[in-house]
Amino acid sequence: MRFLMTTMGGDMAPPTEAMHAEMAAFVEEMTRAGVLLATGGLDPAGTHISSSGGEITVTDGPFTEAKEAIVSFALVEARSKEEAVELARGFWKIVGDGEGNIQQVFGPED
Amino acid sequence: MSGDAHRAVDAVWKMESARIVAGLVRMVGDVGLAEELAQDALLAALEQWPEAGVPDNPGAWLMAVAKRRAIDHLRREERLGLRHERLAHDLATGQETAGVPGAARTAEDDIDAALDGEVGDDVLRLMFVSCHPALPAESRVALTLRLLGGLRTEEIARAFLVSEPTVAQRVVRAKRTLAALKIPFEVPEGPDREARLSSVLGVVYLVFNEGYAASAGDDLMRQDLCREALRLGRLLAGLAPGEAEVHGLVALMELQASRSAARTGASGEPVALHEQNRGRWDQLLIRRGFTALLRARQCAAPFGPYVLQAAIAACHARARTAEETDWAQIAALYEALARVLPTPVVQLNRAVALAMARGPEAGLALVDTLVGEPVFKGYHRLPSVRGDLLARLGRHDEARREFERAAALTLNGPERAILTGRAAACADITARETAGAGRGTPRAVVTLAEAADAFLARDDLDAATVRSYRQTMNRLRRDLGDDIPLPDVTAARVAEIFGAAWGDAAPATWNRHRGAVRSFCAWAAAAQESIAGRGPSTGGEGLSAAQEPAAQEPATAAGGPPTVARGSSADAPGVSAADQGSPVGDPVLDQGGGPVGSVGGGSVDGPGGGVPGDLAAGIGRRPEPRGRTRPMDRPQVEALWERPDIAPRERALWLLLHESAAGTGHVLSLNVEDLDLAGRRGKVATGSGWVHWRSGTAELLPYLVAGRRRGPLFLSDRRPGPGRPPAPGDLCPETGRRRLSYERAEYLFKRATGHTLDQLRTR
Repeated sequence: MRFLMTTMGGDMAPPTEAMHAEMAAFVEEMTRAGVLLATGGLDPAGTHISSSGGEITVTDGPFTEAKEAIVSFALVEARSKEEAVELARGFWKIVGDGEGNIQQVFGPED
Repeated sequence: MSGDAHRAVDAVWKMESARIVAGLVRMVGDVGLAEELAQDALLAALEQWPEAGVPDNPGAWLMAVAKRRAIDHLRREERLGLRHERLAHDLATGQETAGVPGAARTAEDDIDAALDGEVGDDVLRLMFVSCHPALPAESRVALTLRLLGGLRTEEIARAFLVSEPTVAQRVVRAKRTLAALKIPFEVPEGPDREARLSSVLGVVYLVFNEGYAASAGDDLMRQDLCREALRLGRLLAGLAPGEAEVHGLVALMELQASRSAARTGASGEPVALHEQNRGRWDQLLIRRGFTALLRARQCAAPFGPYVLQAAIAACHARARTAEETDWAQIAALYEALARVLPTPVVQLNRAVALAMARGPEAGLALVDTLVGEPVFKGYHRLPSVRGDLLARLGRHDEARREFERAAALTLNGPERAILTGRAAACADITARETAGAGRGTPRAVVTLAEAADAFLARDDLDAATVRSYRQTMNRLRRDLGDDIPLPDVTAARVAEIFGAAWGDAAPATWNRHRGAVRSFCAWAAAAQESIAGRGPSTGGEGLSAAQEPAAQEPATAAGGPPTVARGSSADAPGVSAADQGSPVGDPVLDQGGGPVGSVGGGSVDGPGGGVPGDLAAGIGRRPEPRGRTRPMDRPQVEALWERPDIAPRERALWLLLHESAAGTGHVLSLNVEDLDLAGRRGKVATGSGWVHWRSGTAELLPYLVAGRRRGPLFLSDRRPGPGRPPAPGDLCPETGRRRLSYERAEYLFKRATGHTLDQLRTR
């Protein structure tokens, strides 16, 4: 099963040097284990696009409240939702305060 | 107690058990004991976590508890000698708080830190031990999944379609063998290492292939085996990063797994590699495969079978269309593979690649050296490859014979249809060529094909009879060849074909085909008489009326899609390392029916003019039991409901068939909107009646309906492909899936029980 983990912006403390190193090691380990498939940070000022009645409107961001915007994501492969939650615990232990979501990504077999 | 906490324990266990068990084995020196102690820790977690909550570092918690149990055990055993001194040293500060789980976080952290550096090595050691060649292959698999994968016995049993006690026994026996042989807990070095490593890789690939062979209707646990194998492979690659073959295996598995969505069609039929929709390949896995292959190439070792197979898979993955495939590169890789893995199957694949790279002649030359290899006996792939190459060389008559042979050998319906179509196309071309070259060349004798066509063209037979007779005649034509002169057809040959084709069939089937042969003989004798005056060679109304045997089959495949032969070559993860069981795609799995039946009757040739004698002389009539098919026994049916490996849809269908005694076609035609759940009945769409069921079905149906309001009750697992839309009534408007087909339902039941669905009906 694949899960998309996202973190929201907001009051997260700016990362320290130590946190950087710890996170890099964590990402490396997860990638090597085949758990982490893709990850990256997102520009909170994205582009908003809406389609209505055949008309497509493009608006430059920022498009949400800072604390609602998704600022990073990780696509992980886990055997169960619980396993994904355990992985997220490991992540948040390094990051500290903040919030995010875990959602299953449906594949052809789901 | 909360189910959430239980699932959390299970998840943590699956992630951590390899490290925990491995660490314990090093402490206590025995795999069986280590696993028991680890299970104790798991039990403690199951007791405490639901109330106290999941600890901050659950892995370390489990490890700490397990180690305390180990120390307790060692104390009890009064083996406080050397081993304990070493332990005491390791545990230094943790010692004073030992025995109070959860009380001392600092102690846990210290223990963890003290052992952390070595845990990776322990896991690698554990892998080598649980895949030890002294154990039978299935024990290696069971033990590895249990110790390294953290799977429960019950999960392994479900995945491998065997019973739980069987798996438990394999594990117990394996542990006993390891203890009895005093297998050291170490990573082998020196000359032993390569063979031991290949055993480990073999186990992982076996697990992968088992999952790869699973189909959509199978238990999810079974399909998950691919992912479990990938996980084990990646774990291994992290622990032994200097081994090219480890990375090769990981790359091979990633690349094969990338195609899993594209390799079956809408109704579950296999799709050959060159016909797959490459848009459905998982690019993420392909990239991972490339990365692993790159790592393998960075290792200096000479490339082994896994790296080479991965490199071949990578060539396919790189091609955006089948036409872009770099066949020259693939042929070169197969040549290298044939050097390290010189099996006929590899050679055949190499021949296919050669033909694609350098033309059919090069391929054919190699294929011809493989004819007569025992491994290909009864396997359709050799003749179908040969037929394809011959056809591309313009040798259509020879090609036709190969396609006919291949069609007779394959057990796969769609594949047979393609092969038969290609044979017909070849026959068509041959007929046109001969007509153009030597018009009116007199034929000395009537061939089997001509006689059979004339026999079936009679207007005094009804359509059903013709269809039934045609089956029999087609089988004889396939096995004997269309061109065989009728007088050369002997009763002995016919008996042989009957034995091979229908030896295991129901007596009624056997007798039906026998009847066809008898009717054919009687007709041939009568026809001979009626044209006797004009002489056999001139032709006439009787035997040679139909001059173009191939014309009756529409030659659709003539310019159509390429062959089964070409495509099916590369996708099966067939060729594999030495000592594992039978990998998927291994031709020995694909044998035809049972041994050829007894050859009865002498060869009774017909009287000179081309009429055979009694061709049924060697085939006795078989007594038919009174009922057409015997229903399954009650205990068999009861046992069926107890099986844990039956998917819910199948369970509901089978129960419904059993309880209603309705025909399978009627039951599959049921629609959600026609169900009367309260009245336990449903209106049949294919007729006017109702199907009634009892409590067992009534309990399951709500799950199957799952909130849908209309559409077919029984749905296929997949959405139909864009190319083949089902009839509107067979498409579920809510899920987009199609109605479960009779063929698929029958296939699943047969595979699970060996019986036909009709036998579920009580009478």
